[in-house]
Amino acid sequence: MNLLYKSYYFASYQCDHSRSFYIDFGHKQVKLSFCQLLAIRQKVQAIDLSSHFDKDLNYSGIEILSLCNREHLFVFDTLQVIDLKQLLKATFGVLELNSLVAH
Amino acid sequence: MKDIVRQKIGINVDVMDLLNEQISKEAHSAAVYLAMASWCDHNGLVYSAEFFYKQSAEEREHMLKIFKFINENGGTAYSPEVSNINHEYNSLQEIFETALDQEIQITKSINNIVTKCRKVQDYGSENFLQWFVKEQMEEENQFRRILEMFDLMGTDGIALKLIDERIKHE
Ligand SMILES: [Fe+2]
Ligand SMILES: [Fe+2]
Repeated sequence: MNLLYKSYYFASYQCDHSRSFYIDFGHKQVKLSFCQLLAIRQKVQAIDLSSHFDKDLNYSGIEILSLCNREHLFVFDTLQVIDLKQLLKATFGVLELNSLVAH
Repeated sequence: MKDIVRQKIGINVDVMDLLNEQISKEAHSAAVYLAMASWCDHNGLVYSAEFFYKQSAEEREHMLKIFKFINENGGTAYSPEVSNINHEYNSLQEIFETALDQEIQITKSINNIVTKCRKVQDYGSENFLQWFVKEQMEEENQFRRILEMFDLMGTDGIALKLIDERIKHE
């Protein structure tokens, strides 16, 4: 497995052998197809961080995410959400760099 | 390390994001034209209503075209949410002006994606978008032609009826 990116709480990997990706959430490692990785990216990008600093919009400051067609359910606090956004952005950045050097 | 991403998806991921945003915009256009059709219908402008029903269907076609393109190339297209549709207009002229402005915004948006395609060398997507570049020029021109009728004929009673009749042929 190749480490793609390690953020403060999480890490992402690519497995050449199974042609898939992994995200290590700390307490749990989740295997993802590329499609599922895209779906996570979409969901995380769509999280409105500013709502976490507004009591009316997001009172508890948590975010509930279901992944892989509701196979997994996660609850993240604000710091974890910031970290997750960073993780996905950097992961896709590394993947793009890999594309550039691979061809 | 293998380039699994490239094996799975034929278009650039950032371009895919922009195309998904475009899906939303086309869906929004479709809904706006539907609202305009309703206004025309209520105000006895039958041919204009017909015109906007047709425009609305075309925008939905555009949306589907992009939707399928993303999915066919290994990406994920997202079904759009549509909100904020205005139903209040003061005149038919205002409607056509609003429609032209909307088309101009769409043209800008398409051009912006083409620019991004070139930057990341996603020539497949760029080639796909050329159809939209041409389509936008035609649509803008169509609305411009109609607005010129208002300049020529004015906007009071009988002129309005005449313009509506002419729109039948657009
Ligand atoms: Fe369109
Ligand atoms: Fe259009």
